[in-house]
Amino acid sequence: MRRLLICVAVCLVQACSAQSTDISAPASVVAGDEATLSTTGSGRASFYLLGPGISRKSDVALGQAIQLHAQDLRNAGAYLAILCSDTCHRATFYVNAAKPTSLTFVVHPSRVPVKLNDAVSGVAFPFDQFHNLALRPVTVDFQLTEGNASLFSRAVRAQDGIAWFRTTSGKSAGALQVVAAIDDLSVRRVVQQVASDPCNLRIKGQRTAAGILVETEPVHDCSGNPVSDGTMVTFTATDASGKSTVDAPIKQGVARAQMTASTAAVISVASGVVMGNELRVGARP
Amino acid sequence: MSIAAANGLSRSSRIAPTTVMAFVLVLGLLFHANAADSTVQVQLDSKNTGPRAIESATERGIVRDYRGAWTSMAEALEFNTLDPLDGPFTGDAKRLLRDTVASQEKSGLRRKYLDQNHKLEAVFYAPEGDVIELHDTAEYQLQVLDGDKLIENERVTLHYVVLMTPSADRWMVRHMQAVSQF
Repeated sequence: MRRLLICVAVCLVQACSAQSTDISAPASVVAGDEATLSTTGSGRASFYLLGPGISRKSDVALGQAIQLHAQDLRNAGAYLAILCSDTCHRATFYVNAAKPTSLTFVVHPSRVPVKLNDAVSGVAFPFDQFHNLALRPVTVDFQLTEGNASLFSRAVRAQDGIAWFRTTSGKSAGALQVVAAIDDLSVRRVVQQVASDPCNLRIKGQRTAAGILVETEPVHDCSGNPVSDGTMVTFTATDASGKSTVDAPIKQGVARAQMTASTAAVISVASGVVMGNELRVGARP
Repeated sequence: MSIAAANGLSRSSRIAPTTVMAFVLVLGLLFHANAADSTVQVQLDSKNTGPRAIESATERGIVRDYRGAWTSMAEALEFNTLDPLDGPFTGDAKRLLRDTVASQEKSGLRRKYLDQNHKLEAVFYAPEGDVIELHDTAEYQLQVLDGDKLIENERVTLHYVVLMTPSADRWMVRHMQAVSQF
């Protein structure tokens, strides 16, 4: 009977001590900060910390605070703290991203024709120094400039760690500077703007001993930008014997071709979907 | 029928035991792979995404690859192996998971993600289609083992912010970060 009473007493003491063991954590921590977990109870216990990039086990004294070092809490996410003596107790907490220190900025395309609607877009992601996505709303300033002229300027509030823009390309061929900035942090990208389709395509020609030499006037787009060298221009000669076609690339702003028609001919010109003027050349004298 | 069965029996009796074991092992692995896949349920809601609309083929690809990513992650963290991470993860997500596996291996811990159910919402799909942000409300049974001793066995619901980017033949998880709420 006496032994039974002792057993019951021991069991009660153990139960009481088990109930009093617990662990509690702060609701949230900023990445890279230290944190303290409090424990209750007495004796020794195994402590486990599990989170993104970390899984560790250590021996701790119950009733004393557990210090979590900054290096253990660099990665934003959910953490699980487990304390095991006779039974296991758990506490969860979140590590949130710190202040943004870098911007990932993706801009499309790398090369774009001028004056094209919704042709240039950019997406910016703010990250903290530990590569955590900064989800707190921050304002990202987007600035687009061509030469010294501002083409586009907008302050965008990042939502869910993302700020973005989309706009029409500029009027002038050349480098388009695209900048995303948060306070004193900025990232620059460059989009090459090139001439659009040719506009007012015009040709002139003259008969030579070998046939007809035709050439375009300097080829520009509708904004006056010289169309890139290498752009193909198609010359078509129609005479009594039929139709002949020559493709020639623009070189130094002008495309040239030698046609072989010996009788009177009509010569037309086109580049892509753009048609130019027609030229009538008389028969060889 | 009975002749075929008899032939089959007489044939199997001549097969080497190692061949039978290999056959059983292959069957077991196939069954295991199917079972692992079936425990990861993924639904995607793309109604409110923007600025680009998600094409149905893209939607199917994202669901397939996100399910594959969690299947692989569960395998990597249960068996402390890096191989499953090579296909579906890239960038920060892959680095963190590799660190987690290395850390688990060092401390003798393992995690099991069982009976997973993921409700995905696509919240951003970039104008050029080169990145998608998902909000995942994930529910699963989390088990933590210290050696063979089970120290945690809890049904949990967590919220993840996920960035996925397309590669040559699949969508890859580039960033995955649990948050207290969306």
